[in-house]
Formats: sequence, C-alpha cells, structure tokens
Amino acid sequence: MSESLTRLRFFFSRSKSDELDEELQFHLEHSIEANIAAGMTPEEARRQALIAFGGIERTREQTGEQHPRWLLGMVMQDIRYALRGFRRNPLFTVTVIATLALGVSATTAVFSVVDPILFRSLPYAHADRLVSVGLVQSLETQEFTLGGFFFDWVHNQKPFEAITSEGAVSQECDLTERNPEQLSCARVLGNFLSTLGVSPVLGRNFLPEEMRPNGPDVALITYGLWRSRFNRDPGILNKLIDIDGSPVRVVGVLPEDFELPDLQPADVIRPLALDETAQRTGNGGIGAPMRTFARLKPGVNIEQARAEMEPLFQNIQKTLPSQLRNAFRHDFRLKVRSLRDRQMQDASRIAWILLGSVLAVLLIACANVASLLMARGAARQRDLAVRSALGASRIRLAWQALIEALLLSMAGAVAGCVFAEILLRVFIAIAPAGIPFLGKTHIDLRIILFTVVVSLLCGALFGVAPALQKPKPLMLTGRSQTVPHAAVRQWLVVGQIAASMVLLAGGMLLLRSFWNLQNQHLGMQTEKTLTVGITLEQQHYATAEQQMAFFQQLQTLLQYGPGVSSLAMSDSVPPGSGSHVFYSSLGIVGRPPSEGRTGGLVTTRKVSPGYFRTLGIPIVKGEGFREAELNSSEQFIVLSKRLAVRLFPGKSAVGDRMQFDRFDSNGVPKPLWGTVVGVADNVRNGELTGEEEPEYYTLRRNRSEDWDSNWRRTEVFILRTSLPPAVMFRWIRAQVAKLDPIVLVNIETLNQRVSKMAARPRFETVLLGFFAFTGLAMAIIGLYGVISFVATQRTQEIGVRMALGAGRFNILRLILWEGVRLIALGGFVGLAVALTLSRVLKSLLFNISPYDPVSFIGVVLLLALVALAATLIPARSAMKVDPVVALRHE
Amino acid sequence: MPPSTDLLQGTVDALILKTLALEPMHGWGVALRIQQVSKDVLQIGQGSLYPALHRLEYKGWIQSEWGSSENNRRAKFYSLTRAGKKQLEAELATWERLSTAIALVLETPA
Repeated sequence: MSESLTRLRFFFSRSKSDELDEELQFHLEHSIEANIAAGMTPEEARRQALIAFGGIERTREQTGEQHPRWLLGMVMQDIRYALRGFRRNPLFTVTVIATLALGVSATTAVFSVVDPILFRSLPYAHADRLVSVGLVQSLETQEFTLGGFFFDWVHNQKPFEAITSEGAVSQECDLTERNPEQLSCARVLGNFLSTLGVSPVLGRNFLPEEMRPNGPDVALITYGLWRSRFNRDPGILNKLIDIDGSPVRVVGVLPEDFELPDLQPADVIRPLALDETAQRTGNGGIGAPMRTFARLKPGVNIEQARAEMEPLFQNIQKTLPSQLRNAFRHDFRLKVRSLRDRQMQDASRIAWILLGSVLAVLLIACANVASLLMARGAARQRDLAVRSALGASRIRLAWQALIEALLLSMAGAVAGCVFAEILLRVFIAIAPAGIPFLGKTHIDLRIILFTVVVSLLCGALFGVAPALQKPKPLMLTGRSQTVPHAAVRQWLVVGQIAASMVLLAGGMLLLRSFWNLQNQHLGMQTEKTLTVGITLEQQHYATAEQQMAFFQQLQTLLQYGPGVSSLAMSDSVPPGSGSHVFYSSLGIVGRPPSEGRTGGLVTTRKVSPGYFRTLGIPIVKGEGFREAELNSSEQFIVLSKRLAVRLFPGKSAVGDRMQFDRFDSNGVPKPLWGTVVGVADNVRNGELTGEEEPEYYTLRRNRSEDWDSNWRRTEVFILRTSLPPAVMFRWIRAQVAKLDPIVLVNIETLNQRVSKMAARPRFETVLLGFFAFTGLAMAIIGLYGVISFVATQRTQEIGVRMALGAGRFNILRLILWEGVRLIALGGFVGLAVALTLSRVLKSLLFNISPYDPVSFIGVVLLLALVALAATLIPARSAMKVDPVVALRHE
Repeated sequence: MPPSTDLLQGTVDALILKTLALEPMHGWGVALRIQQVSKDVLQIGQGSLYPALHRLEYKGWIQSEWGSSENNRRAKFYSLTRAGKKQLEAELATWERLSTAIALVLETPA
C-alpha cells in the first residue's frame, strides 16, 4: 500500500537525470582518488577507474528503467514517432482509418439492428423452453387455439410443464377518468404470468376466484403505464380505475421489461375468464379464439412436443361444427415453434443475411488494413534493419509496430462509431414497418467493443508480424530483392475479391428482383389517384345503417370536389390483399360448392360502381357494375379473368349465376347467389410479392346487409383527380371533418400506397447493395495497392528487362498478369461460393431465379472490368519507367 | 526473469539495506563498505549499484538527500526509511532460512 503510494509520488515527480550524472561523477572521482591512494599515476588511476566503472550510458539507461514512469515515457516516445510517420504518409493513414471506420460502422449499425432480432434474450425465465402452439391455416398463419378444444389440450397434453393463453386480440380500451386515455387491454389466463416465469414487481398475480366468469373485476398494469399515469405511486395497489366506464381494481404492476409473448401492445392485463362448458358449446362449438403459449418439460424438444400434440390435434375435428370439418381436414395444420420464431416471423432470415454480408464487409476491411500495414512494414524493412543494427531489440521494434497499429485502430474505431450512428439513423429511416424493435435500436457499446477489438486484432496481428522477424543485415544495403509477405498480401486480395464477388452477386440479384417488383404490371392505373382510408369507431357507428349512412354522405361530398374526375369506394385497394374465401366455397349452377380440397384462396372485394373506371381496370367481357344496380335486390358479381377461366372454362361466364359465402357479423358464412355481369382484367393482389390469386368483386348496394361486418369497419375512397395531392389532402380532411371531426383518416396517393408495400425489398436491396459496393471499393483499393507495390518492387527488374530489349508492351503484360492471376482466382472462388449461397436469398427474390444467369454474368463482367482498371493504372506507370532511372534506382 | 538473477538482485538489495542500516551513506560509501566488510569478496560495480539504489528509493525503502561528503563535496546520501527497516528484517529472515537450508543440504555427509 505505502509502496504503491511512494511509486505514485515518483510517477508524478520530475525525473532528475542531472542528479544521476552528478552521483555517477562523484562515484568516479572517488574511485580515481582511491587508485591514486593505491599508488597509481593520475592518468593510470583515471584509466583503471573508467575501465572498472563500465558503460556510463548503459548505467544511466538501466537506472532510468527503474523509474515508475519509464514505460509510459517509452510509449509516449513511440506514439510521437508513429504520429510523425502518419503525417509523412497521409494517404496511407487516411486509407487505413477510412477502411476501418467503414468496416466498424457498417458492422456496428447492422449488428445493432439484428441483435434484438437474433440474439436478444427474451424477458422471461428460461425463455428457451417457451413455445407458441396452435393451429394455422391459409387465412390465419399465426398459431391460434379455440375455446372449443383448448380445455381438451389443457387436460390431456403431455409435453408441456404448463400451457396458457391470452385473448387473440389486444383490444383498445379507454381509461375513462380525468384526462381520458386510449389504452390497449389484453386478457390472459390465470397461469399466464407463472408459465412465462414473470412475477409482478408490485402487488400480486390474479387469484383463482378472479378467473371465474363474473368474478371481481381486477387488472395488472404495465410499468410504463404506472410511470406515465400514476407517477410510480405504490399506493396504486387496490385502487379502482375506470376502464370503459366501469371500475376495475388494480392488483399489481408488471415488471419494466414485460411484453406480451406475441408482442401485441398492452397497457393493462385483465383476467380471461373462461367457462369450460360455455366454451365447448358457445359460438357454434368454436369458442373464443386465443393465442396459446406453453413451457416445454425439461428435455422435451419442439419436434417431440409436436408429435405428442398430434393426436390431440386430430381430435379437434369432433368438436368442430360440421361445415368447418372439411376445411379443417384440408387446410388446418398443427404448429409448434419457439417463442423467438413466433416473435420474429421471417425477420430472422433477412437478419442473418444482413449479418453475413456485413461480416464479409468487415473481413474485406480487415484484409485491407492488414495488407496496407504489411506493405508499410515491407517498405520499412531497411529502416527496421538500421534500428536493429543500432541496438533496438526485436521486442522494442514489435512494440513500436503495435503502438502504430493500435493508434490507427483507435482512430478508425472512433470515426466508425460516429459513422455507425449516422448509418443506423439511415437504416431506421428507410426500414419498412414490421422489423421488430427497430424503433428502440441504438448503438450498442458491446458491439462497438467487439468490432473495435476485431479491428485491433487484425491491425496488431498484421502490423506486428513484419517487425517480429529479425531484419536481415542484407536489408541495410537496400537491395530488397526479396519481398517479404507479398504472397500473404496476394492471398488476402484473392480473399477480398472472392468476398466482394459474393456480396455483388447477392446485391445484383436483389436489385434485379426489386426492378422486377417495381416494373411489374399491376393491371391498374396508379397515377393521379388518391386513396382515403377511413375507420369508424365501434361506439359511434355500431350498426350497419350508421356506417352506410356515413360513407354515402361522404361520397356525395367528395364526388363533386375540385378536379375529381372519378370516385369509387371499396373495402380494400389492390395490390393490397382483400378478404379471402376458399375457392371450394364458390359454386355454379350444376356444381354445388365442392366438399373436397379447399382449392386455394380467392380474393374478394366489395366495391362501388365507379371502381373499375377509377382504377382504370379494363372490363374484358360484359360490363362493370351500373348505378341502377345499387338499389336492386339482386346480387351482382364481376369476376377477374383468372377466376372466370377457372370457374367457367370455355364459357363466357357473363350472365351465369354463382354461389358465394358472405360472412355475417358473427363470422358465420351464409351462402348467397348472384349474377355475373362482367369479367375484369387481372389486377395484382396479395401485395407486390405474394401469389396472384383469382378474384371476384361484389357490388356494395345501398342495403344495410351489404355493410354488415363487425370486424372490418374500414372503407377506402379512391379518387382520380387532376389537382396536386397536397391541395386535395387538405380539402378531403375538411370534408371528412364536416361529418365527423374526430374520425381517423389516412390519405395517401395510390403510388405511395404501392411504394410502401415495396419498403421491405427496397430496404434489403439498399442495404445489400451498399455492402456490395463498399466491399468492392475496398477490394479494389486492396488490389491496386498490391499491384502497384509489386510494380514498384520490380522497378529495377523492369529496367533490366528493358535494357535487354523488352518492349513496353511486354512490361505492361508482365505487371497486368500479376493482377489478372489474382482477379481470376478470387473471382472464380467467389463465383463458386456465391452460387452455393444464393439459395438463401430465394425467399427474398421476386420473379428471378437465385441462379439468374444475367445477374451472375453481369457481376463477373463488372468485377473483371473494375479490377482490370485497378491493375492497369500501376501497370501503365511501370510501362513508362525509364530504364536508365530504373537501373540507378539504388 | 530467471530465479538466479532474482536471487542475486535480492541479495544486492539486502546488502545495501544492511549497509545503510548503520548510517546514511552516499553510493560510493555503500560500495566501499560492502567491499571492506566482505574482505574484498563482494564488489558491487556502479552498473548494478545505482539502478538498485534508485529501485529501492522508488519502492520507498530508502530515501535520499543531498549533503556534503567527508571532503566537502556535494553528494547524495541515502538512508533507511521505516519501511526499509521492516524490509531489511524480512530480508534477513529470508536469508537466514535460505542459508540454513543450503547449509543443511551441502553439509550433509555424502
């Protein structure tokens, strides 16, 4: 303790080298005097004393090394030396720092985005054993369960330690106190929190009596709500709050990191009180829809759990109403998957792809830095040899190189952090909706640390390697015929070219796919068209009549607006998907709805007569809907060409009758008959990338039954107008406000709406494209560096060759060949890897094969051209070498 | 560092501490005293003396002070600190143990 204090004191005190000299001088004089006293002559005494004394300088150094600050002093000296070196060679310094910054920033930004998707630990105890379990079908691809069979599962399941559910939808609910607030309320079973391994931070979980129907009305609130609304007041426990007008008792507060396993928003959690008997018989034997989660027993994996649940799944058929059994047999599957997969959906694939590409970029960057440092090391062989000859130890030289590499890495890391923040903001700005947690993404310190360590390592490794070899004394002559590490650098370049080839191929495939996506035939007119989506509230527009009245009034207001040449209403707008039915539910005269397979999905929309005109969809047979039909008691149908061909092969279809299901407000299908009045050309549906489905349109008449649906109260007005959108937006808002000032309106141009659907492919394309070009740029810098280095090293040889009669063209070929070898090898390896890996992009590609020859040939040509250009520059300057100058090079 | 040097360095340290325990001395004096006491067997060159003196000073076992020498020359005098006294005791104890042990081994009849 006291010893370190003393050392600390000396650390800060000035070192006194004069004092040491005085001490040594004193010592020397005493020895001379002693020698004289022993009878020597003064000269002899001095000579003997000096011999006995030994090297003064060495003693001075050794004494200096005892000083606590000695190491720091040496480091400072090295740093000053390194900085001087950087100033003398700014191009080298800037290239290394920029390369590192790019590598670090891209890696950090991408890793920050994908970390919560791939590696985030879920806020539940032993989350790796939590699964989502339920049925899926083509209309609902997220696992769900139904009250009708849920209790059979609870009583008879074996693979799970616990199984629990939440209500299928988080519902909007209103906090109707002072300062009313709209919240999300979820309903969960009593064992929900315990299954997830979550306990309230304050208060308690629900009690059994609270889980009975008509039990006490209680709620758990989230930490966020507790903070924002109740100021973290512990007195909230057992207080009553008003939810949707009735008092609810708060019994607990959830932990700060709590989230529903399906990531639905929730501010308040209330008991899902299920009565077993009522669930088995209610809602036509279907029961309430739920999302079910379970905890696997230790040692049971997902596959085993699925297999063990299969018999229970087969049993479900018995509980279903007869009209659903057919669909069940053909369309329903049992699905068990990990909670992480359930949360991330297909985001994890693109996350892995991004991560892979950015790691490739980082590797290319590291290879570049390594190559540059090695070039510097090689160019300094002579300098090192001189220093070594003057007595610098190998450790000392390596230490110097290490300091240099560390300084560069640190500068690169700092610049990289700044750039990473910018990149991340750009990512977030262009990212599509539906990438989980993107809003909360921030630059993660751990990730910065990781990338900095990686760049430090690659800097240190390749920077120190040349210094570690004891320089050969031959180096002092300056005849550096042997080029150490040139082979390693060439292999690095081969690797860089291969990696950038892979990135380029991926980027090119996505780019071409995106091009296809953007330029596909939508089958409708999107210019000068606005869409106005309006969602009515349940409370104010409870009945179909009220909704119909509102929309018809608004239609009248908008119809004769400024510049409006055409207007239509629809419940959905292509290329978005509409409602879906099974092909098998459609029937024609002489062939009732089939009992067999579902026949796949059919899109359907309820539209107004102006729909086809407004969207510019051609009617190929018969005609569209007429105004007069709005008041008819008949049903009218327009088919898409695709559906007409399938339903009425070889016939005209117009005038024929067709049976279709219409779902009432309870979701129960009711068969209706209608007359086909026309066939419209195919329009893209199922968004931009989905499968194109057959489609039929029904006329939404002025009858309340056509407006009856309790789960979809959104209507979209489609306007074709000659006025600029901004003007129209304001005018439309004013019109809507005339009828209802608080209704939600969403106005976009149709082009914006379509473009939004391309947000995700755009995001993927931009990111991968960015990485591909960054990678290519760095690989080209690397290639250029190596070839010009080789050319410089061979200047003398070139001079000799030219003196012996080699033409300039031979010299060009000589140097060019160095580059072509590397390009060909790297390109070949890269192509092979790219062809192997391109399969993983398959699900992201639209109308293009992962082995698309055009993309691959294009990429090969691009790479070859750019790389040759990078080789040609040093090769040309080598060609212009003056043999006389070259031979005098030394 | 190989143990033999360690032993050597430790020994030099102990010799210096022991010498300074008698009275404050300058570097030359320390070297001379060790040579005289050991009857010319131990000669510490300045090459190991001064690094050792500085090392001991940085460790806080000895302290230095400028004064005038016997023939009125300016000289740096080193003296033992309290921590140095303790260290000397420890060194002596270690030496005792070590020499006894070595003696035991070496003097055992073959």
